[in-house]
Amino acid sequence: MLLLSPYIDGELSPSERIVVERHLSACKECTGRTADLRAESGLLRVGLEMAVDEVDFKDFAQKVMARVTPEKPPLLERLKLSLSEMFLYQRTVLISSMATAAVLALVAVPLLLRDKAPLGYAGERMTVKSVHVYEEARASPVVMETEDGSTIIWLVDQDTPAPGEDTSSQDAKDPDADPTEATPGKALPAAKDPETPKEGAL
Amino acid sequence: MATDDLTLVKRVRSGDQRAFKLLVERYQRKVYAVALGMLKDKEEAMDVSQEAFVKVYKYLDHFKGDASFYTWLYRITVNICIDIIRKRSGAGGEAVEFDETLPMDVSEANIGALGSRLGTNPQKSALRRELAEKIQEALSAVPEKHRAILLLREVEGMSYEDLSRTLDIPKGTVMSRLFHARAKVQKILSQYLELDEAKSGVGSE
Repeated sequence: MLLLSPYIDGELSPSERIVVERHLSACKECTGRTADLRAESGLLRVGLEMAVDEVDFKDFAQKVMARVTPEKPPLLERLKLSLSEMFLYQRTVLISSMATAAVLALVAVPLLLRDKAPLGYAGERMTVKSVHVYEEARASPVVMETEDGSTIIWLVDQDTPAPGEDTSSQDAKDPDADPTEATPGKALPAAKDPETPKEGAL
Repeated sequence: MATDDLTLVKRVRSGDQRAFKLLVERYQRKVYAVALGMLKDKEEAMDVSQEAFVKVYKYLDHFKGDASFYTWLYRITVNICIDIIRKRSGAGGEAVEFDETLPMDVSEANIGALGSRLGTNPQKSALRRELAEKIQEALSAVPEKHRAILLLREVEGMSYEDLSRTLDIPKGTVMSRLFHARAKVQKILSQYLELDEAKSGVGSE
């Protein structure tokens, strides 16, 4: 009788199964019990399935995920967050432009005070090889070639004799900048000689 | 073919949250069925199901890929349920004690009644439905450890080997607990059947 339960589960060894089946063919009672066990097993399954079907699992996984994932703030919070991020970003821009102004002042003030052109402060990797000045150009561009083949075009505005504010001087601090787009700040000493540059542009 | 469990587990470990969601969706119904069978209470079963998945996620690093994922998942589910049942009984709830040495007490007169009355005849689905609704009550009369085995066997169709590994008990114990659990459920279902027969007249439906 104990073997009937594993029998219906298909968990008997082949030899045990043969013994049970032989017995079942002769014993009505055990055949009845086997049928009962099978019916019960089916009922259990159907019964639980019915109960599970009553449940809506639509949000289940979502709820579990909400509990296991790092906190995801609600919409309003996220909106606030992105707004403050935006503000932060703008503040960074603001700060960096202020920093630029400060650097410009630092660079421009000594330049203005000096009569002589400063010694070159080109980066180690970039040295001026040759300088061509196109005299006939109104903006008086200065074209320079660097050692690694990059070309620097320096435009000198001659119309406005304003205080020498050099917007590009900040770039001179970054010698690792894209070599094809060389920094005009480094060309400053060369351009300085013929006439005082007021504005530079690439 | 769906991605197998272990692949999904690996993906979760490497930070893929969607892989875990797939695992949840794969097992949510069965985990809930086991929890419901264990606890009977729908809301509690739902809470436990969620809890089980959360725990699984939390301890995923402890899962050694040597056993199946679901074995581990069900073990966690069953343990949470057993904890709750113990707390319940500690708080004055009914604790079902079970003596495995007692002989099976299915009324001999009823042998074969369940099988023959249900059979495979689809016409008898009304009775089947009625009895299926009683299943949860019948289950609650079975001691929790026996109940767990019966549920895992019937809901998930786990092999005795898997059951032994999931519940950390010898295969022989699996077999005897399963036998006793079935006997108990059988007895209760037979009682319903007798009541039903008394109500509607023997054999007529």
